[in-house]
Amino acid sequence: MGFRNANTVIEVRNYSFKYASSDKETLHDVNLKFHEREITILVGPTGCGKSTLLKSLIGLIPHMYAGSWSGSVIIDGVSIQDRKINDLALTVGYVFQNPENQIFMFSVERDAAFGLENLGIERAQIRERVDWAMSLMGITDLATKPPHELSDGQKQRAALAGILAMKPRVLILDEPTSLLDPHTALELIQLIRNLRDQLGITVIMVEHRLDLIARVADRLLVMENGTIVEDGKPREVFGKNSPSLRNIGIPTITRLYQALNSSRPTGNVPLTVDEVVDLIRQKQRTVSA
Amino acid sequence: MYWVASGFIFRRTSSPIHDLDPRVKLLISIELFSLALAASRMEEVALVFGSILTLALIGRIMRRLGKTVLFALGFAVMIFLINIFVGYPLVSAVEVAARFVTIVGSTSVFFLTTSPDELEHVMKWFRFPRDLVFAFVTAVRFVPVLLMDALQIMDAQKSRGLELDKGNPLKRIKNFGPILVPLVVNAVVRSGELAEAMESRGYGAVKKPTTLYGLTTTIKDRAVVLGSLLLSIPVLFFFIVS
Repeated sequence: MGFRNANTVIEVRNYSFKYASSDKETLHDVNLKFHEREITILVGPTGCGKSTLLKSLIGLIPHMYAGSWSGSVIIDGVSIQDRKINDLALTVGYVFQNPENQIFMFSVERDAAFGLENLGIERAQIRERVDWAMSLMGITDLATKPPHELSDGQKQRAALAGILAMKPRVLILDEPTSLLDPHTALELIQLIRNLRDQLGITVIMVEHRLDLIARVADRLLVMENGTIVEDGKPREVFGKNSPSLRNIGIPTITRLYQALNSSRPTGNVPLTVDEVVDLIRQKQRTVSA
Repeated sequence: MYWVASGFIFRRTSSPIHDLDPRVKLLISIELFSLALAASRMEEVALVFGSILTLALIGRIMRRLGKTVLFALGFAVMIFLINIFVGYPLVSAVEVAARFVTIVGSTSVFFLTTSPDELEHVMKWFRFPRDLVFAFVTAVRFVPVLLMDALQIMDAQKSRGLELDKGNPLKRIKNFGPILVPLVVNAVVRSGELAEAMESRGYGAVKKPTTLYGLTTTIKDRAVVLGSLLLSIPVLFFFIVS
């Protein structure tokens, strides 16, 4: 997909941030544009600034963290430093790493309504949006369940429903699969792709399970020491053999393909088992012909 | 050790008492509380306690009420002994202790049949400040979470050799240090994330937030209000006069 020509929803311009408790900048001169309907994955080693960048995209930084910054993060033509965080709630939704910490109410449906209640939306509209969000997440049958009776996967869906009920244009997720088993993680990732396809939401997420996520991502950003060192389609980035990719967990199948291929191919490398199988069959056909 | 935590967690059930408007349940509880306070003779206390047991039976909370009463009995014994110690007659000491148990029982009828959701609605109806209501909601919501945290930390520390049940009472209290410190640190970290999640979901955006549900009374609620007032006011008057 040609996202470079799509509308920009968030622009990060020459943005640097330094926490008050730190001696050096956590983010250094970051320049990025996030486009409509794009699924972007942000990866990098621990402490490289991923969470700081995500929190900067919704205004939690600098509004809720002491520190100094330069540059700007622009949404709808306005720098978020000049807007209140709760003003952005209908534009950008943020799903935290631990869903437990963002479910406030005693039932799933009450929690899904929490954001809308805060914004003073009328009851009938809240009801409609809550039902819609719960049905989208497949948790309608859990509507009256209290959070402590939910599994981790169900909590993650409940947290997502609470964000989606506000119908944001951008969805930011911080390691959404970190507490989930591989099967539930895959389900969640497919769900995120469906959200993009059905609702046209822009998705920005930190995610380390590249084996699962690379196939659905449109764009991969690799961070190192507070800067973006790689930016492109996942298979292009993986095909670069760049030293910065060593510690980000390139999909096993991609590494296997590169290891077996003596010419160390760069460019479009396979991301899934099916793609490798296709390549092998293609090769077999060429040899037998 | 899950059973320790499970006792503190509210469970939704349905019963004629549970299904009442929470304000009606609060009124009944206040009536019983006032009657228990006004009851001065043993048979009066027994009448109020009997009413509480009847409500508990209808509300299917006998077992949980029993636990609360058992808990209150410990304090009741202390009250009884203090009364005896300061020279009150035996009958009077028993009455005071029994009245204490009845007072605890009267408030339990409300709290054991009212969900935290309903409590929140009642607080809003009484026009408590929004921040205070939200602080209450969050505190109750996170009781099971913090209990689970505490149990996990206890297991982790035990596996590293911490012996909680050994030593004299002072030593046992000291043993809880390695449990409390990580628990408090966890809670502080959690509260930071909660604050961020609140902000990102528009908390405080408007002065008058709306609600998905409100409180509505039915004919049944109104009948219960009328019936309970007609019963309790004359009895209360009789208790005070007698």
